[in-house]
Amino acid sequence: MLDATIILQILWTSLSTSSYYVLFAVAFALVLKVTRLFNFAQAAIMTIAFYTAFVAVQWLEWPAWAAFVAMMAATLAASYGLERIGFEALRKRGVSVMFVFVFTLMVSEFFAYVAMLIFGTWPQTVFPVIFWPVTLIGNIAISAWDLPAIGATVGALALLFVFMRFTRVGAFMTGVADNPDLAELYGINKRRIFLVAMLIAGAFSALGMFLYGTRAQVLPQTGLSLMLFAVAATIMGGIGNVAGAAIAAVILGVIQNASILVISSEWQGFLLYVFLFLAIVFFPNGLRLPQRRRFAPAAREILSDHDAPPVESKA
Amino acid sequence: MSNFARAAARRLFAAAACLAAALGAANPASAQDAFRFGLAMPLTGSQALYGQDQVKAAEWAVAEINKAGGVGGKKLEMIVLDTQADPQLGIQMTNRLVSVEKVPVFITAWSGVVKAVAPIANDNRVVELSIGASSPDVAKLGDYVYTTFPLADIDITAVAKYAFASMGKRRAAVVYINNETGIVPAEVYQKVFKAAGGEIVAVETYDPKATDFTGVLLKVRAANPDIIHLHGLVSDIPQVIAQMRQLGLTQPVTSYSAAFNPKLIQQLGAAAEGVIATSLAPGPEDSDKVKEYVARWQKEVGREPNGLPYTQYLYDAPYLVAAVFKSLDDKKMPVTGENFRKEMLAMRTFSLPITGKTTLNDDHTVVKPVYLMEVKGGKWTRKAIVGE
Repeated sequence: MLDATIILQILWTSLSTSSYYVLFAVAFALVLKVTRLFNFAQAAIMTIAFYTAFVAVQWLEWPAWAAFVAMMAATLAASYGLERIGFEALRKRGVSVMFVFVFTLMVSEFFAYVAMLIFGTWPQTVFPVIFWPVTLIGNIAISAWDLPAIGATVGALALLFVFMRFTRVGAFMTGVADNPDLAELYGINKRRIFLVAMLIAGAFSALGMFLYGTRAQVLPQTGLSLMLFAVAATIMGGIGNVAGAAIAAVILGVIQNASILVISSEWQGFLLYVFLFLAIVFFPNGLRLPQRRRFAPAAREILSDHDAPPVESKA
Repeated sequence: MSNFARAAARRLFAAAACLAAALGAANPASAQDAFRFGLAMPLTGSQALYGQDQVKAAEWAVAEINKAGGVGGKKLEMIVLDTQADPQLGIQMTNRLVSVEKVPVFITAWSGVVKAVAPIANDNRVVELSIGASSPDVAKLGDYVYTTFPLADIDITAVAKYAFASMGKRRAAVVYINNETGIVPAEVYQKVFKAAGGEIVAVETYDPKATDFTGVLLKVRAANPDIIHLHGLVSDIPQVIAQMRQLGLTQPVTSYSAAFNPKLIQQLGAAAEGVIATSLAPGPEDSDKVKEYVARWQKEVGREPNGLPYTQYLYDAPYLVAAVFKSLDDKKMPVTGENFRKEMLAMRTFSLPITGKTTLNDDHTVVKPVYLMEVKGGKWTRKAIVGE
């Protein structure tokens, strides 16, 4: 039963299907890091993204690239609207985090409902055909969907990394995430940085939904259930740690898919709730490497300052 | 934009049906001069696309019966309520039909709902006609629950026997959805295939919310079957087959009536070739009446109905109900659930416009031939008729 082909195939498929989970988790984690909001309205953004792509391809019969552009435009506009009309107004009124959280849930449910009214509850896909041709490498089936999906995800992550690391706005985002008021004292426009975080999260959500909707069928409520996975990954990855969320999403995806080898398949869906439960109860601060290592450089510095000749001076 | 218009029309249609039901409730006086029965189907929710088309078929039939003079000069009135194919909601709607609308008979579908509301029918002595639920348990739900739709034993038995005897398959794998729809039919398939002399090499199930079936299918692949029977819902069957083919499972796939729909071919393209499904009603090539019926769908709705055979049975249902009402009326018997049941069983055999002769068995089942359909050259074609 447990031959190498099966294990490798499950690993490969779960790796490729974790592409969209990573995108959703990064979007969620980024907004949480920068704006400190549990943005469940991301599900609404995802719903808007999917149905825009669906309408463009299946109703208007646009080519895939045009549908993709339309989807991105609609999603960014929705993210802009959500930040400027929703979050900013709430912030100005000084409402509690819990209130904003309830607001985001409500937005998601509202859009799921609107989608149901317009598109019905029949499961839909971006393209009419969901069958992707496969290539066998060794005995592992690699579908024509897998590599572009992984490529798009890795590309998006690389862009985000470069943006955060090497641009001024990226550095400002880190600053606002660390201490928004202090950042403002330094002249950083907090409002603008919040908006940028929302737009990036919107783009990631849209890309993820495009990938998901070209492979699996989507219902108006699908956005919300996909979000739960992102929430579990974000908490496990450590709140405020975007890379941690991405890695946790891959690991959770692989565990969920590989679990079939040890547990009966009907329990697979249940695993997500186990993850969420474990994450919230046992790892509210994420799965971290031992604290010692995090502070090691600082400790070394102190040692070198105060103690007998440090190792470096001998060398 | 025509798709949008169609979708909008569907919503409007559902709303109108609910409104019609509400108006029916608001006007109890109409009970005096009409024969009334209930229809509880999913008008919203994940199964709505099927439910709405089935309701439409039943509405056409009611309109035609009334156009032809009604039942003994009285109107036939159908009260439509939405169950969303959800047992909990089904119970609420049935309670309303029984306690508020006081109908002697109601029609419902989807195994989960049919089972959940059976105690209400039995306790209140109101006849429940199950049309479309295929779980064999439906025959064992009590004195007041009957089906005019052949149960899964029939088509699953036919598919399993055909796979062994006519296709020469010896090693079958069964993949099914882990809910009311899949569990019992999967057991029936295994039992019949084994009894015929075949071997079941893998039995795998998946969660109703699953979207990736890689693990399940790899286990099936490892068992190396020569045929795979898939028993899921219309919303997941195409995805399972797509992933099956992607993972290199090239074996013939059999399924049941839910797979027999044009969307499957659209979603799978060439990967749909060779998929075998069942139809429990005659197709356009078998009868002129069906040809006319399908042509009417094309003309009025612009497409074939979703789940054509189900709609055929739903179209026939009001004719059966009207025939029993007519007989009660002729004999001047009070229109109660008890009398309806008695009279229906006394009549036993009905000649229905689309699905033909229907005989209710003592064990609460009906027998009808099973039409095996296969995707060939991008179209559903008839492969065989079993049990004619």
